[in-house]
Amino acid sequence: MNISALLDEAAAKVPGVLPSSVLVKDYPTLRLGSPAYLLPLASFLKEKGFTYLEIITAVDWLGPVSPEGYPRGGRNPNPLQESEPPMAAPAKNPAVPYKPVFDLLWCLADIDAKARVFLRLEVPRENPVVPSLTGLFKAADWQERETFDLLGIRFEGHPNLAKILTPEFLKGHPLRKDYAHVKDKYDE
Amino acid sequence: MTNKEVLHDETPDTSPEKAPAFSGGKFDQLFVNLGPQHPSTHGVLRVGLTIEGEVITKAEPDIGYLHRGTCKLAEARGYHQCVVLTDRWDYVSAMPNNLALCLAAEKLLGAEIPARAQHLRVIMCELNRIASHLLFVGTYGIDLGALTPFLHVFREREMILDLYEMLCGARLTYNYIRIGGVMSDVSPEWAAKTREFLGFFKPRLKEYDDLLSFNPIFLARAEGVGIVSKETAIDWGLSGPNLRGSGVPYDVRKSDPYSGYEKFDFEVPLGKTGSCWDRYYCRVLEMVQSARIVEQALDALPAGDLTAKGVAKTPKPPPGEAYAHVEASRGDLGIYLVSDGGPAPYRLHVRAPSFVNLAILQEMLVGRKVADVIAVLGSIDIVLGETDR
Repeated sequence: MNISALLDEAAAKVPGVLPSSVLVKDYPTLRLGSPAYLLPLASFLKEKGFTYLEIITAVDWLGPVSPEGYPRGGRNPNPLQESEPPMAAPAKNPAVPYKPVFDLLWCLADIDAKARVFLRLEVPRENPVVPSLTGLFKAADWQERETFDLLGIRFEGHPNLAKILTPEFLKGHPLRKDYAHVKDKYDE
Repeated sequence: MTNKEVLHDETPDTSPEKAPAFSGGKFDQLFVNLGPQHPSTHGVLRVGLTIEGEVITKAEPDIGYLHRGTCKLAEARGYHQCVVLTDRWDYVSAMPNNLALCLAAEKLLGAEIPARAQHLRVIMCELNRIASHLLFVGTYGIDLGALTPFLHVFREREMILDLYEMLCGARLTYNYIRIGGVMSDVSPEWAAKTREFLGFFKPRLKEYDDLLSFNPIFLARAEGVGIVSKETAIDWGLSGPNLRGSGVPYDVRKSDPYSGYEKFDFEVPLGKTGSCWDRYYCRVLEMVQSARIVEQALDALPAGDLTAKGVAKTPKPPPGEAYAHVEASRGDLGIYLVSDGGPAPYRLHVRAPSFVNLAILQEMLVGRKVADVIAVLGSIDIVLGETDR
């Protein structure tokens, strides 16, 4: 199977699907225009043999960005204080462009054809919601719970979107860049 | 009537018709906690079981007791320091963890790894696979009531750990595979000892077959139990021997080769039915193949450098993102690494095989008897350091 032909077919069939400008190195990467295209694209790829869901994860791009979309200067120059909402970050550094988004990443693999494709989707940092893939791949169950737990992205349609790794009393989502630890009983 | 008369009155009728009736012939639901401290959960795993009589109606694995937040910790450490964190995921087979992170970082850096280092990486990962599967064979035997094989496999496992100790000073957390190459060279004595070990190890497999694999009691507990079909295994994203036990020929070493695995001649053992025994025996057969790979790699060990040129002491990869995955002892271990050009990773994500494999427990246990829980859980072969990271 020709992977690039298949991806062209996918882009023709599902509108709003484009080759990503930034690739996950060495792998074909598609960018989704909006969350609405995720389920049609994933089911199209599943029909075509991409039956194995390899990873689900996300990156928090809170920070001043370069033209390619990567944070500039390594780290946030004026980090947010504990009480400030994430959306306050751009106002604190008005001179630099910000990209207050979560970039979600899915990897689907075709076991027989030895091919894999990455899908990515940007969602706003405020109230991030994306459709759940649990209806198509059961492997999405825990990986979506992990992404929810560590980054606070909600997956609509997930049957049991509960915390999985962090303890019940932990507030916030540790892998967000503006995560601030609230002292609990285990801190001295 | 005296007690003696009761005892010797007559032999009790055990026919099903005479069995005492329970209320309406139904059992009440009962919630049972398995773990988090339980010898057969192989670490701190809790499984909340809802049972009706002997039959499980709902199983909820509860993990996170060992969550150390290594992905977050990595964001505040240099790339070389992150390799140390990887040792603590799957601590019974840490070499593939080292390798996965190094492969991802090398992709970002664009480093070319010398052939000798590639061969050494393959040797170490395959020896680690043998050590890890030996541990599995031993503990799975214990889970199902066979104590003797444990002592046999630990004899062999100790030899591998001694080899590692000779190589890098550590027995479990090696930090041997570094970004750009490997930490140190192997001495001729080390190579000779490894060959000696392989010569000792290969005839031992018949011993395991006699002691455990084809033992009728073990077969009764493991064969035909916890069957996972091909489709279910793929749907749940299983990997490693759990997937191959169901007959799916997916092995990262073959499907997305890395570190020169395409140069070695080895087979990927497959199970037939996807039962606990198939998953178990896949691992036993994999040890044979790993031993073959180690032999080939030792025979063809090229001379040359151990580290790539131009990897700095504090590498700052250009902005970009890379995904690298390896066939770790427990399955497909994937690392997604994002660099923003700084000295520390901007984001590190681990696709931990134990984490993804364990999720299927919710489905596998339903409808089975309580006694099968241990057989099923043991056959998935999880390491809690990796599920929780």
